[in-house]
Amino acid sequence: MATITQTEIHHEHALYAEPIFYIKEFPITNSLLNSWLVIFIIVIFGLFFKSRIKTIPRGLQNGIEIIVESLLSLFDSITGSKEKTLKIFPIVFSFFVFILLNNWLGLLPGVGSITHVVLEHGEKVFVPLFRGGTADLNTTLALAGIGVVISHIFGIIFIGFWQHLNKFINFKALIEIPKKVFKEPSILIINPIKFFLGLLEIISEAAKLASLSFRLFGNIFAGEVLLASMSTILAFGLPIPFMFLEIVVGLVQAMVFSMLILTYLTIMTSVEEH
Amino acid sequence: MEILFETFHVDIRLLIAQAVNFTIVFLVLYFLVFKPLSKVMKDRSTKIEKSLDNAQEIEKKLANTEKEYKKRIIEAEKQANLILTKAINQAEKTKQATVVKAKEEIGQIINQEKDKIRTEKAQTLKEIKQEVVNLVMITVEKVLEKKLDNKEDKELIKKIIKETK
Repeated sequence: MATITQTEIHHEHALYAEPIFYIKEFPITNSLLNSWLVIFIIVIFGLFFKSRIKTIPRGLQNGIEIIVESLLSLFDSITGSKEKTLKIFPIVFSFFVFILLNNWLGLLPGVGSITHVVLEHGEKVFVPLFRGGTADLNTTLALAGIGVVISHIFGIIFIGFWQHLNKFINFKALIEIPKKVFKEPSILIINPIKFFLGLLEIISEAAKLASLSFRLFGNIFAGEVLLASMSTILAFGLPIPFMFLEIVVGLVQAMVFSMLILTYLTIMTSVEEH
Repeated sequence: MEILFETFHVDIRLLIAQAVNFTIVFLVLYFLVFKPLSKVMKDRSTKIEKSLDNAQEIEKKLANTEKEYKKRIIEAEKQANLILTKAINQAEKTKQATVVKAKEEIGQIINQEKDKIRTEKAQTLKEIKQEVVNLVMITVEKVLEKKLDNKEDKELIKKIIKETK
């Protein structure tokens, strides 16, 4: 963690997003501000795009269509069905866009360096006005939570509540035992194992939440710290290669996150094989 | 767990705020970008499919028309040939008929003329004969009128010749 000590004002690269101001007890943190900026950009873009959309594509629409088309075919190869892809695509694509813009906005000059001074514990502290949205565990945890919850919702929609429930609490396996026990006695051993495996799945859901949120947060936060430390060593020139690195990392992390969400959605929406 | 949340300042209110943020992003992207875009793309692909189908149909129709056209032309040619040969035959026939008729007529005319000439000739001969008989008769009368001697006879002959001159 880079610590810049100045005469009286401190600046720490904090592990968390700092509140800039409060609206009735509700802390407006710097990364929340950044997320709003992202929303603003997306809304402007969306309105602009909607007004320009035509049957015969031109310019921007062409580019977007190419991206969407290639992504759709990529998704098709993962989900294995066109219908499923069309249902899943918007949500995964939204994850991608939101995370990508948050990652990249964290790299803009000014983000992290435009600060204002706050009194904290009797000390004057620099607090950056903006902070990359994904460099805050609140954001990544919220995103991961949405991803996991949505994968369950999709699972229930696609394969039904009973099927979905049996992936975790395998009643089916238990019910099968008295039915088939005389035909194949090995079921007495196999099906309790199946039931136990289902319980393990519940733990893996929690693991998903943790891995998704901490991976994204860690990468982006580390990038910011890296850039900050590089600028403290030499502010001119030295951070540039790391800037490019962070641009790539931002893209890769956005892709990793959305691809993982996509695989979770695919797994949840497919019927368990026997 | 609490320590974890403490270190990272995980706040349920902020979590909800970010979840709301993402929901807004999703809704905006869904209704402003994805929905109209997929609609446009779908419309376009159906349109293209339709026009491709149409093009195929038009091509088929064109080929059919060409076939029909060729067929018609061949038929017309055949018919034209038939008519032509018929016409030629007819012409030949009429020509021959005309020639025959002409020949016949000419023969008839010639025969008629011949007959005419023959009858005229006979008439003339008859008339000449009549004339000669008359002449002889007159001469005979004249001779018989004056039964004279030789001398007188000679004079008479001279006189007759003179008269007839």
